[in-house]
Amino acid sequence: MSKYFPVARATYMIGLVYRFGFLFAIVGNFVYLGVAYYLWKSIYHYSDTIRGLTFNETFLYIGLGSAIFILLKTYADWIIHYEIREGAIAMYLTKPIDFQLYALFANLGSLLMNLTAITIPTALIMIFVFKVKFVIGPGLFLFPFSLLLAFLVSFSIDYFIGLLGFYSESVWGLSTTKEIIVTVFSGALIPLQFFPEAIQKVLFWLPFQAIYHTPLMMITRPNQGWDVFLPMLLVQLAWAVILFVLARLFFNQAIKVLRIAGG
Amino acid sequence: MSLIHIQNLSKHFKILNRREGIGGAFRDLFSGSYRTVEAVAGISFDIEAGEIVGYIGPNGAGKSTTIKMMTGILKPTDGIIQVNGLAPYDNRIRQAQIMGVVFGQRTQLWWDLPVIESFKILKEIYKVDQKMFDRHMNMFNDLVGLKELYSQQVRTLSLGQRMLCDITASFLHNPEVVFLDEPTIGLDISVKAKIRSIIQELNRERNTTIILTTHDLGDVEALCNRIIIIDKGKILYDGEAKQVNTLFGAYRTLKLQINDFNETTLQTLKDKLTGRFGAEHGITVAETEESWTDVTIDQERTPLSDVLSFVMSKFKVFDVRIVEISMENVVRKVYDGALV
Repeated sequence: MSKYFPVARATYMIGLVYRFGFLFAIVGNFVYLGVAYYLWKSIYHYSDTIRGLTFNETFLYIGLGSAIFILLKTYADWIIHYEIREGAIAMYLTKPIDFQLYALFANLGSLLMNLTAITIPTALIMIFVFKVKFVIGPGLFLFPFSLLLAFLVSFSIDYFIGLLGFYSESVWGLSTTKEIIVTVFSGALIPLQFFPEAIQKVLFWLPFQAIYHTPLMMITRPNQGWDVFLPMLLVQLAWAVILFVLARLFFNQAIKVLRIAGG
Repeated sequence: MSLIHIQNLSKHFKILNRREGIGGAFRDLFSGSYRTVEAVAGISFDIEAGEIVGYIGPNGAGKSTTIKMMTGILKPTDGIIQVNGLAPYDNRIRQAQIMGVVFGQRTQLWWDLPVIESFKILKEIYKVDQKMFDRHMNMFNDLVGLKELYSQQVRTLSLGQRMLCDITASFLHNPEVVFLDEPTIGLDISVKAKIRSIIQELNRERNTTIILTTHDLGDVEALCNRIIIIDKGKILYDGEAKQVNTLFGAYRTLKLQINDFNETTLQTLKDKLTGRFGAEHGITVAETEESWTDVTIDQERTPLSDVLSFVMSKFKVFDVRIVEISMENVVRKVYDGALV
């Protein structure tokens, strides 16, 4: 395992090389937070709670949702797809490394870069500019674990899309479709509580809520017991493991059709 | 036992026959006819530890496909391939530890980071211990002068510098065999010479087996003691490099741009050359690109200077280049029975 840590370190450093990108991300996110703030403020004008959520809870959910969105935006699907299409994957296949673990750790590096450069500043902006109040509770301490599992689920989906590069020439359509499905069905755009009951039930059985909804619930409703948190974490863990294994099986299948240009 | 053992190895690719136009592209969505391309069609050879083998042939001959099978990227369609006694495809991760690979067209270094970082990452990936690492880096520093490049971003390196770094990186974990796929492509003469001397030095010092594909007969001449020529997936020649060098080292191609070139010029040129140098002159004439005429000369039979001055006296020539014989011409001559 130790041979993969330098890979994460390398992608973290690459992030530092392109430091100006983060400035734009922070500014862009600041604008998004402002819009979301006034939008939800006007929605909450007529009532204090909607579907059991207060304004503070909703804004926390939406704002942190956008912070996690940027955190998880490591472009793994694009990068892997590109490496397969361009034949750069040959370079990895001639090294004594496991490609999935390599990709995971490369991604972890970008994640940590996003965390320090965008997510933490965004959280600070929420606290000091928009005066959002965090509720203290055990959920807060579970949040990092939940976030880590969310990352694993998100990575596996991206990795899967990237591997389609073995079959498809273009990733754009696939990737955008995935992005929309994930944003809507995961709770990144609107809290899942706002969906009709029937749809909520369906979404519960899909992996997407494990990416945003679960960690966000830990932080917006931190004062709940283990009877609530434990099943949530277990579902996340189950998705993380299932998708990781499925992606692995898919890789073993896809590698068989490998054809690298040239001869 | 030999380090690399290949027997009746073949690799077929299935390729979709793309139809023409937008309508054709739509029909390809639903049904396609495939054709099979035999990239490698039943080759056999053995390579011993410590050899430097030139694996040459024209574009599309099957060189890279063979290399990719030896490195475990591609799975053979048929036949036996063993490196150090194991099939590369089934033992990819284990085999990768004893191999080094350089593909001239792409880099194994991290594009956005300083050079030294790539070496550090490779050190961990291959589990090279610190003492070995330091020793290697010092040696490379003496050979290449790497130290000046340490802090430079890989993307800012020149092609020659990048190639030097890539080659040294592929030797970092002290592999048994190193595959160099077109290591001198696009480089100028002085860098080529440097790369050749480094490859030679590393082979001598560590007895590393080196398999080299190239388009440049100069590489072969400088480095290889054995040559395998492949074309259309089949082996044309496998033997001592010396024979190939003495044979083709004597060939030069005179590229001429002749004024008032027309359909009859080529024939006139041929006739005049036969008239002047006799039937056994060892000269072939062919038109290549627009208005360029290639005159390939076997210097053992007819001196180049004689041909040049003769042509200059008979034709109005406004540009001349002299080049070594190209890989395509070597293959053509092998087909014509030059090496039998």
